Amino acid sequence: MSKLVFAKPSKIKKVRKLLPSLAVVAIYLALPIMGLSGFWIDVLTRVNIFLLITLSLDLYSGTTLYLNLGVPFTVGASAYAIALLNRYLGIPVEYAILPSAAISAVLSFAIFIPSLRVRGAYFSILSLLLPIILAGLVTSQPFSLYLGGEGGISYPPLFFSYARTLPARERLFFLSASYFYISAAVAIVAYVICYKVAYSDFGFMMRSIGQDELLAEASGIDTFRVKLVGFTASSFLSAVAGALYAAMRPPVTADVFIPANTLVPSLTAVILGGMGTVVGPAIANHLTLITYEVLWGVLGRWRIILYMCLLIVLVLLRPQGFVFYLYLRLKRAVSTKISRLFEGA
Amino acid sequence: MGKLLICDNVTKRFGGLVAVNRVSVEVSRGELLGLIGPNGSGKTTLVNLISGVLAPDEGRVLFEGRDITKLKPHERVALGISRIFQGMRVYPYLPVYYNVELSARSVFKDAKLARSKTIWALTTTKLLAETLELPANLTPYKIKMVELARALVTNPKLVLLDEPFAGLSPEEVSEVIEIVRKLNGNGLTFIIVEHKLRYLMKIVGRVVVLNEGRKIFDGAPSEAVNNEEVSRVYFGVV
Ligand SMILES: Nc1ncnc2c1ncn2[C@@H]1O[C@H](COP(=O)(O)OP(=O)(O)O)[C@@H](O)[C@H]1O
Ligand SMILES: [Mg+2]
Repeated sequence: MSKLVFAKPSKIKKVRKLLPSLAVVAIYLALPIMGLSGFWIDVLTRVNIFLLITLSLDLYSGTTLYLNLGVPFTVGASAYAIALLNRYLGIPVEYAILPSAAISAVLSFAIFIPSLRVRGAYFSILSLLLPIILAGLVTSQPFSLYLGGEGGISYPPLFFSYARTLPARERLFFLSASYFYISAAVAIVAYVICYKVAYSDFGFMMRSIGQDELLAEASGIDTFRVKLVGFTASSFLSAVAGALYAAMRPPVTADVFIPANTLVPSLTAVILGGMGTVVGPAIANHLTLITYEVLWGVLGRWRIILYMCLLIVLVLLRPQGFVFYLYLRLKRAVSTKISRLFEGA
Repeated sequence: MGKLLICDNVTKRFGGLVAVNRVSVEVSRGELLGLIGPNGSGKTTLVNLISGVLAPDEGRVLFEGRDITKLKPHERVALGISRIFQGMRVYPYLPVYYNVELSARSVFKDAKLARSKTIWALTTTKLLAETLELPANLTPYKIKMVELARALVTNPKLVLLDEPFAGLSPEEVSEVIEIVRKLNGNGLTFIIVEHKLRYLMKIVGRVVVLNEGRKIFDGAPSEAVNNEEVSRVYFGVV
């Protein structure tokens, strides 16, 4: 009935529903202080940063169904902005993260405006070309002289000047742990914002564009504006990911522009997780990327082949939203368990 | 009082085909106008020109005296021109509520106003019991109602209905007519596109007949039946 749409669940019920998720997040955040090895803390940091790219892709492409293959461009542009601001203006990476993300988002915005006006595949094709062009520019003369060429650009990483004052033993743990917590904090904030936006009126307007753009346009929605705002917000997320990653892991090299590095993992997570659901892709992001690291110990270099084969299987089986489906089942199971607990009390 | 809508010699070509050929139509406030013609005569193209989905190659479209030829579809919706598409056209994976509310929200920046408008539109079209349903679970009639609710929710002054009776049973057709009549009685202007004259004869005050992109008749429905050219075009079809 119509009442369902308008009835607001009480605060207590909301919190009770969130409890299991909050518990999982709390355990996740406690891992570094519970003695997780430095290697795995670093892995989780990278996975957290990848979550930003996954959310960025899901927020725009997952709802509007305009596949943004230009994500590596946005990620790479902010990573290089960090490096260049440091190299030529002497700005420490700590202060360069937000400006670099903004520069990259504005750049993406400016470059993609023309393609946002056109309906259909034009946008995806243009977005595919840009990272390739940039990777070429960075590694070839005369640009390579200023952009570091194959070797990339190096600089002191985030918090390094402070870490140097610490004893050698603490130094590594401090860097690993602080990177983990920063990446986790940014990821959590980004997740909450993306979730809110994706299920807001604006989010549903993006979905309406994905489902029937002409109808959306003809029934009053300013589709160009919605695409522009959605794309820019999404680009900003990817840009933050690039800037954070670059700040923590110098040197920056042309590798960031390669889709296999900065797009394919997130694209897999979005498809596997369930496009536009936010929850699904976020879980799938962590599941697939952590599994990928576990496979290193088991399979070594074979893991990339296994991973690609898995991708092919995924494409063939099209398990659209598989993780989202599992999440809903699990949530139902857990919440009935919990409500039974409360009833018993 | 000025006309609500004026199509001034509008022409639309697709390659060599002239889909709408120097058509002029004037619509007054509160009118219920029928737009008829055989398949491919340019009815939908004319609707597209009025709603802004297509831009004319020549001619102008005026709404409330203002030249809107260059305006985008969503801008025309905000001015008060709503349309429904030929066939069934809804967002397939959004519940009924959002199918309607998103249009309201894009015209009324105030969320509360948009919501109350949405409830009004869903009430008018008797959809309150289906607000959470996906279109796939609805009958063709209910889907038409969703489209109508979506068109009404933006507070239009002019509503364009492109073949709204297609695929509906005779009883359902009368129900649609009932709703349209009631809204028209409250002053809302309609242009109803139909392939056949039959349904429109009794409800519209005036018909415009198109054939091969040209306007061949403009007047009372009773005169249309007796008009020689209209009869020739419609031979065996009416
Ligand atoms: N987008 C288009 N591209 C090319 N031809 C079109 C297009 N839309 C309509 N036409 C052609 O224009 C003519 C008029 O079409 P239409 O306005 O849909 O007619 P009606 O609605 O009266 O059946 C037809 O010959 C149709 O094939
Ligand atoms: Mg038609």
